[in-house]
Amino acid sequence: MQRFFNRFFSFRASFTLLVFIALLILFGITSADHSFFKSANLTALARLAPDLGIVSLGVGMLMIAGRFDLSVASTVPVSSFVFTKLLGWGTPLLLCMIITFCSGVLIGYLNGLLVTKTKLPSFIVTLGTMLFWRGLVYAASRMMPIGIRAWLEFGSWIEKMLIGSIGGVLPVQILWFLLFAIVLGIILHFHKFGNWVFVTGDNETAAQAMGINTDGVIITCYVIVGFLCSFMGMMQNIRIESFAANQGVGIELKAIASAVVGGTALTGGIGSIPGIFLGTLTIQIIENGLILMGAPPFGISAFIGGAIIIFAVLNVAAARVSGR
Amino acid sequence: MDDQKSAETQGATADTAGNGTPLVKMVGIEKWFGKVCALRNINFHVGHGEVVGLVGDNGAGKSTLIKVLSGFHLADKGDIYFEGNMIHYSSPKDAKRLGIETVYQEQALAPHVSISRNVFMGREPTKALGFMNRKMMDEESMGAITRLGLRIKDPEAPVEALSGGQRQGVAIARVLYFKAKLVILDEPTIALSVKESQQVLDFTQQLRAQGISVIFITHNIFHVFQVATRFFILSHGEALTDVKKEDTNIDHLIELIVSGRKEKA
Repeated sequence: MQRFFNRFFSFRASFTLLVFIALLILFGITSADHSFFKSANLTALARLAPDLGIVSLGVGMLMIAGRFDLSVASTVPVSSFVFTKLLGWGTPLLLCMIITFCSGVLIGYLNGLLVTKTKLPSFIVTLGTMLFWRGLVYAASRMMPIGIRAWLEFGSWIEKMLIGSIGGVLPVQILWFLLFAIVLGIILHFHKFGNWVFVTGDNETAAQAMGINTDGVIITCYVIVGFLCSFMGMMQNIRIESFAANQGVGIELKAIASAVVGGTALTGGIGSIPGIFLGTLTIQIIENGLILMGAPPFGISAFIGGAIIIFAVLNVAAARVSGR
Repeated sequence: MDDQKSAETQGATADTAGNGTPLVKMVGIEKWFGKVCALRNINFHVGHGEVVGLVGDNGAGKSTLIKVLSGFHLADKGDIYFEGNMIHYSSPKDAKRLGIETVYQEQALAPHVSISRNVFMGREPTKALGFMNRKMMDEESMGAITRLGLRIKDPEAPVEALSGGQRQGVAIARVLYFKAKLVILDEPTIALSVKESQQVLDFTQQLRAQGISVIFITHNIFHVFQVATRFFILSHGEALTDVKKEDTNIDHLIELIVSGRKEKA
């Protein structure tokens, strides 16, 4: 039993799990008419939560490797823009998708290259690339939304694949989120590459001394983030049926917050995919639950901010309990 | 005088090496950093199963010598022989391949990662497709740690949870497992309590018992006197002495270190 408790608390996201369950109960009871658990609400959550979730998985993994990526906020609209433009030019759907992925991967690769070659703090480098790409996409689009309906017929395979639903109730978005979480979770926790990610973030000098190509590890993580952002950008684009210049605004800090709520350390070397998964869901149900409870929607970020600080404190406490 | 000295070293080589050639021999090593001479005509060797105490103050050239030996720096002059063969390093990996492993103080381990993952860091045994064989990692890491005479229960515990001495043990177990022939311990006792330092000395004895040669770097002669079989003292990039334990005593060594001058022949 003692051993079980030690294991449980050494899983730094354990508090997140407890709080997550507590919040589910709280919102279930207190929301008017128990609307939190109504299928309409759950379906909406399952459709919208993966937007942040998919990006958070990549951002969290990168944080475990000891790096940040603020530029996700711009990779998303760039991908969405690229996808929209390609559709407009009548490019075959499959090619649209592949090139959009390439744009995300390329942005990720450039980030990784800049961070590893300049040896500057990744926070600064990706702040720069965030503003750079954001500026380009604003200039290219003149900040006007571009609808895609003229070029994408209803019920196309890409629509079914990215925003369809199974049996009319289960949105595929949540399945994609789950799939990415499982794949990245297996890689991070069971593959040797995952071990390299952890040791790169925890002690880069040691990792290098043991012959690990830490630059390669970091660049690969940035590429994964870029890929996930382009996936999310495209998914969101098809859901809202347009490119919108403000896509992704604010997601860079929300993704970091999700990872922190899920037990990821800002200093690298600590974190888990199940934790990040739970962290992002927690942030979203807080948002959703509070609105259902009648909290003023425009003041929601005040609650989110408070929650992030509480979680950060709790995680440190959990680490201290298990540290013995 | 220098010639005479190196002739002496050659003589010592023949004595210490059980089967003819020493494990490692560095001849006439010189290293410059710009206009600063970090190492001047160093002749250094390590025999099979020897524990060499490499002693000197900060800035004496200990680290530089070791970095030349482990392939991090290239010497400006001089040759390095391993088991009698001249070697040319192109990267530190070459040294590892030969079985020369360095254990750096506090730099060797990732504190929040588990013991077994630390032991196999960068050399994870895998099943299909690069997935780690975690059962094997747990068992083998515990095996190597036990061989050092260290008792740790849980291979999944983070290194952070260990004492300083135990951490050194984990770092040393790693090189033991990967069949090092020469282990370089870089200031292994510098941040440790007396009890923990003793633990590290015990590990050193264990390594020697398993036929592994050790270079024990320290600026504190007292830490190494107990375990070393030979002492090599550096000062300002020059060798002050190279003497076997039975031919010296601690007072004499301290005198040399303090005076910073070579022994009169």
